[in-house]
Amino acid sequence: MLTRQISLSVPIFLFIFLFQEAVVNQFKLPGGGFSLFVIFALIWAVISTPEIAALTGFGAGILMDMSQSAGGPVGQWTLIMIIVCYGVSYLGYGDGNINGNPIGVVFFVVVANLITGLLFLASSALLGVTTGSFTQILLTLLGHSLWTLVITPIVLPVFSFMHNFVFETRTVL
Amino acid sequence: MRYGGEGRTRLLLIILIVTALFLITLDLRGVAVLDGARQGTQTILSPFQKAGNFILTPVKNFVTDITHLGRTRNQIEKLRADNAKLKADLLNRKNADAQLKQLESILDLAGTAGYKVVNAKVISQGSSQSFSQTVTIDSGSNAGIKKNMTVLAQSGIAGVVKEVYPTSALVMLASDPAFKIGVRIAGTQQIGILTGQGSRSGSLQLLDNLTTVKVGDVLLARGSVANRPFVPGVPVGYVTAVDNSAGEIAQNATVRYYTNFGGLGVLAVVVAASPSNPGDALVPTKPTPTPIPTVTVYVTPSPSPTK
Repeated sequence: MLTRQISLSVPIFLFIFLFQEAVVNQFKLPGGGFSLFVIFALIWAVISTPEIAALTGFGAGILMDMSQSAGGPVGQWTLIMIIVCYGVSYLGYGDGNINGNPIGVVFFVVVANLITGLLFLASSALLGVTTGSFTQILLTLLGHSLWTLVITPIVLPVFSFMHNFVFETRTVL
Repeated sequence: MRYGGEGRTRLLLIILIVTALFLITLDLRGVAVLDGARQGTQTILSPFQKAGNFILTPVKNFVTDITHLGRTRNQIEKLRADNAKLKADLLNRKNADAQLKQLESILDLAGTAGYKVVNAKVISQGSSQSFSQTVTIDSGSNAGIKKNMTVLAQSGIAGVVKEVYPTSALVMLASDPAFKIGVRIAGTQQIGILTGQGSRSGSLQLLDNLTTVKVGDVLLARGSVANRPFVPGVPVGYVTAVDNSAGEIAQNATVRYYTNFGGLGVLAVVVAASPSNPGDALVPTKPTPTPIPTVTVYVTPSPSPTK
């Protein structure tokens, strides 16, 4: 069972990562744009068990660290994604109002995305990575949150379907 | 509802977090394996980014037009009438022309200074998720590009090579908050340090508290030891505002870069600087106003007054 889940999840994660790097990153969108891969990882985490969410965060973080545009040292995104993915899954696990309700999932993903940005800033300050002026950071965080709010409801059915296919759960959001 | 297998999950969580901290420590200690992993990833991604750039260029043009809709309303109104005549294949031609124009300007700039350059196309914009400003170009170490080389755009500095892979390179743009460059004001020997601010504006701090800077002053790169990371004489930007706050040790100013970082299509990496310092030879010429013809009407009063 676990072998099947892993062997299906890994290509999906790699494909979304590749899509992010080769397609989404081609566009210079206002407000800093969005990260489809982060949105995907967060959705995956919200609708999974905390155990799977932690592993999701680890895998997604490793891939993000391998990205050329990752500003900090290898492991920084891994650490952040483990914490955020586990956190959102733990808080929402078993609560149908959150992980069974599309609005709840969207809300969790937007907040988690914002927290991801804030954790990146905090860890960057500790690791000596320059992140820019306060105004620029504020605009980027706001831009990311708004884009996430717009994109998440659009991609949620697709990602939910993939999750359902991999884990053979009953409900598709 | 509480999660059942908490003990096992907590153990897993601790193992994963420790692994992440282990990776951070290894990277900060400069272990080559992690650099190799990043390089390998980029080598794999590079062909996909090139393909994505090729396929999405018409769409990118469309998105850029949408982004600038509010700012160029009048121009768009005029273009709307012409758009009916445009066909799909012209979009590619338009893009090629724009890149050619950029390339011509870059080569003019490099030729005037005597720089030896390697031209490259931008194949990917860096993700802003990490609050950094980077682009990826389609030339790398195979074309002679090395780390810490100056990168030029059509009207001035674009950034510096941050990472090099065999067939691509990562360029840190001059707008990146971590970007710092030693500059001097054209025509004088006043020097300062310009820092990126995440946008087209930069922050200049003069090093000498006895000198002054004024709006409109043009900034040029001072150059580095062995011309890396910066070759001397490259136009950087011009001063748009001066901060004359009392109590400041040195004068600060806001600078607007010559380069429009949102529309980078073709860049040039300086692989060898000219033997002599080009001085102020690269200072952009100010646009000369077109003379407007004036019409003079002579009126001769009639001898008899009109009723």
